Amino acid sequence: MQACRACGAGASLDAHFCPQCRTILPLVRRQTDYFTFFGLPRKLRIDAVDLEQRLRTLSRQFHPDYFYNAATAERRASLERSSYLNDAYRTLKSPVARVEYLLSLEGRAANGPEEASKQVPPALLEEVFALNEELDEVREMRASGAPAEEWRSRLERARQPIDAKREEHEQQLQELSARWDERGESDVLDALRDRVLERNYINNLLAGIERELSQ
Amino acid sequence: MSKVVGIDLGTTNSLVAHVVDGTPVIIRDRSGDGLVPSVVSVDADGTVYVGREAQRRLLTDAQRSVYSVKRFMGKGIDDVGDEARLFPFRVAGEPGGVVRIGLGDREFTAPEISAFILRELKRRAEAFFVEQGDIDPEVDRAVITVPAYFNDAQRTATRDAGRIAGLDVLRIINEPTAASLAYGLDKRHTGVIAVYDLGGGTFDISILRVEDGVFQVLSTNGDTHLGGDDIDLLLMQHVLHDQIPRTPEAVQEIRKAAIQAKWDLSERGETEWLGRRITRAEFDALIHPIVDRTLGPCRQALADAGFEPSQIDEVVLVGGSTRIPLVRRLVGELFGRTPHSELNPDEVVAIGAAVQADILVTGNREMLLLDVTPLSLGIETMGGVMSKIIMRNSTIPATGSEMFTTFADNQTAVDIHVLQGERELVADNRSLSRFRLRGIPPLPAGLARVQVQFQIDANGILSVTAHELRTDVEQTIEVKPSYGLTDEQVEQMLVDSFEHAEADFAARLLIEARNEVETVIHATEKTLRAPEFAQVVKADLAVGEQERIEAALAEAKAVLNAPDRDVIQQKTTALNEATKHLAEVMMNRSVHWALAGKHINRL
Repeated sequence: MQACRACGAGASLDAHFCPQCRTILPLVRRQTDYFTFFGLPRKLRIDAVDLEQRLRTLSRQFHPDYFYNAATAERRASLERSSYLNDAYRTLKSPVARVEYLLSLEGRAANGPEEASKQVPPALLEEVFALNEELDEVREMRASGAPAEEWRSRLERARQPIDAKREEHEQQLQELSARWDERGESDVLDALRDRVLERNYINNLLAGIERELSQ
Repeated sequence: MSKVVGIDLGTTNSLVAHVVDGTPVIIRDRSGDGLVPSVVSVDADGTVYVGREAQRRLLTDAQRSVYSVKRFMGKGIDDVGDEARLFPFRVAGEPGGVVRIGLGDREFTAPEISAFILRELKRRAEAFFVEQGDIDPEVDRAVITVPAYFNDAQRTATRDAGRIAGLDVLRIINEPTAASLAYGLDKRHTGVIAVYDLGGGTFDISILRVEDGVFQVLSTNGDTHLGGDDIDLLLMQHVLHDQIPRTPEAVQEIRKAAIQAKWDLSERGETEWLGRRITRAEFDALIHPIVDRTLGPCRQALADAGFEPSQIDEVVLVGGSTRIPLVRRLVGELFGRTPHSELNPDEVVAIGAAVQADILVTGNREMLLLDVTPLSLGIETMGGVMSKIIMRNSTIPATGSEMFTTFADNQTAVDIHVLQGERELVADNRSLSRFRLRGIPPLPAGLARVQVQFQIDANGILSVTAHELRTDVEQTIEVKPSYGLTDEQVEQMLVDSFEHAEADFAARLLIEARNEVETVIHATEKTLRAPEFAQVVKADLAVGEQERIEAALAEAKAVLNAPDRDVIQQKTTALNEATKHLAEVMMNRSVHWALAGKHINRL
């Protein structure tokens, strides 16, 4: 519970407005999360059209445009709630950002891009090894003045197994998301975390290939 | 109640609009002209001219006249470079500081020059409200538009200009978004629209989804240095062949001719330009590379929004440069549909600004704009790399945060460098601000946890707060753009502007007096030259009346450029008196002729 500063009435922690006097309530970030804020259960499958509808409805309630004449505290609350709403929308809209956010909420955060890029996930060892060999050879070809089409087509071939891995991961992420939504088991979260780390690693590999191609 | 207006502060022209009984209207001068040319001219005696008069002075006193000042907003001298070459005015400034524009012996910042234009618009609106018989005609609040692709420094400079002009800037909104509001007025539509805005100096493309009255920007892109000015420059270089004319006035003559040729070629297949023939095909070939430069940002915006061109329901054209047929054709080809241009592309942005101003003051919830930040925001990290904290195309307001710690024992301050842009390296992005985070409790290295929160507000302007998590100490950090003005400087400029206000007011009255006497002189001369005048003298005028009129006319012409308003007015009155009888006679004759004409027709 929290108390409304305007009228003193009690309001639940996830209320946006005081139930008594309708004053906008200040946002306390550590007492809410993106799912709760949007009025959604902590589940990974989210209907995009519904999410947008909620964004529009909540924007119409919080947006600073409508608090131009309000007291300072209310203006600030409007800015805080609008910002939080937009940040939440951005995260929940993207399936991957959504998984990462859920993991951090459940205390299993994948520690950012550094962790992902440093150690090779065991499941990818074989692909990474093969790709690095290819990349070395492509660089040698380029250094010895081989025609661009030749090393480019070789690079394109080298990325095929990585692309396939990525597809496979998308599939797995979806399956795991469905399992989380149905049962909410914590071992699913561990599997999700591994997949997210691998996926980030795969994206780094693909970005590396793109960089080589643009040389 | 004092008034609130919407202002389009353009590179070439500026406009002011207002909502009357729920309908937005452009505020025009007596001749029906809504455009105020964004030109400011400062006379040797300190008198400031804005608009058409300043534009005329470009041809007679170019070095004291400034145009396209919007290109210098939020910029440092290091950003300007080669461009200053063809401008008649001096562009100076210390390295690392804001651009200073020299007019005669005075120097101005870009926000100060823009403030002159804003003050003119404010005055125009106030005159309009006085004429309407409003009891409180004062205009003290405004919504001002900026290009969607403007960065934080450029937005802040625009807000500063408003403050210097004595306006409370309620909101800075993006031009393409404002235009979409104007288009959304008469059509309650739902769908995805692309707004292509090619103005005098800037280019924007925005992709929006419109649903339930919410105008949600999905992505935006652009180039704040691409517009009609570049086309004019290209045409000028085409005839100049790198030779710079002797005088700045001569450059301006050529520029004026180039602009006229551009207008002509938007209407016709060919035109005469400085004595040579130029066809539209030649013109198109010449400007094709410039128009092509708008297509890359369009594709990027589409990709960022996740759309194919065919998924766009409507394309809207904004900005004077979209009158060029080649622009229309290439935009039509890219999106595979004929773009909309029902509304006047010069006026649509100001209309949208007025609508937004009305939303703010009335709390009208029918429409809502949800805009995005055009550029990613980040900080410098190890190795001169930018780490992004708020990604481009994030809906605003938005926040992002970053945790900082210390590298040395008992370190009590951390330096933070804030950047805006999309590139990897710090050097390739825009430096917004450097600041020092102080007051960190002395702790062993790496133990302090300072959370820095970045807030982009609904204007797209950044503020920063920091929080030391161990001691729970919050501090707000003053973030001043690297190329910005301090609050004290803005205040001082506001004070200075009041000191000059009296001189400016006198200048205005003088201009009005000159315009009036010019009108009377013109009408008199026309009558004296009329074919039937000789007959009038014989039949209707008293002895010596013609001589008296001619004498009064000569005296009026003699004071046309006098610096004294009273003298001009005196001679205007005298000429009016002298021609009063003549005017009556002419009026009667024309009535008589009209009747006679009718009579003949009836026969």
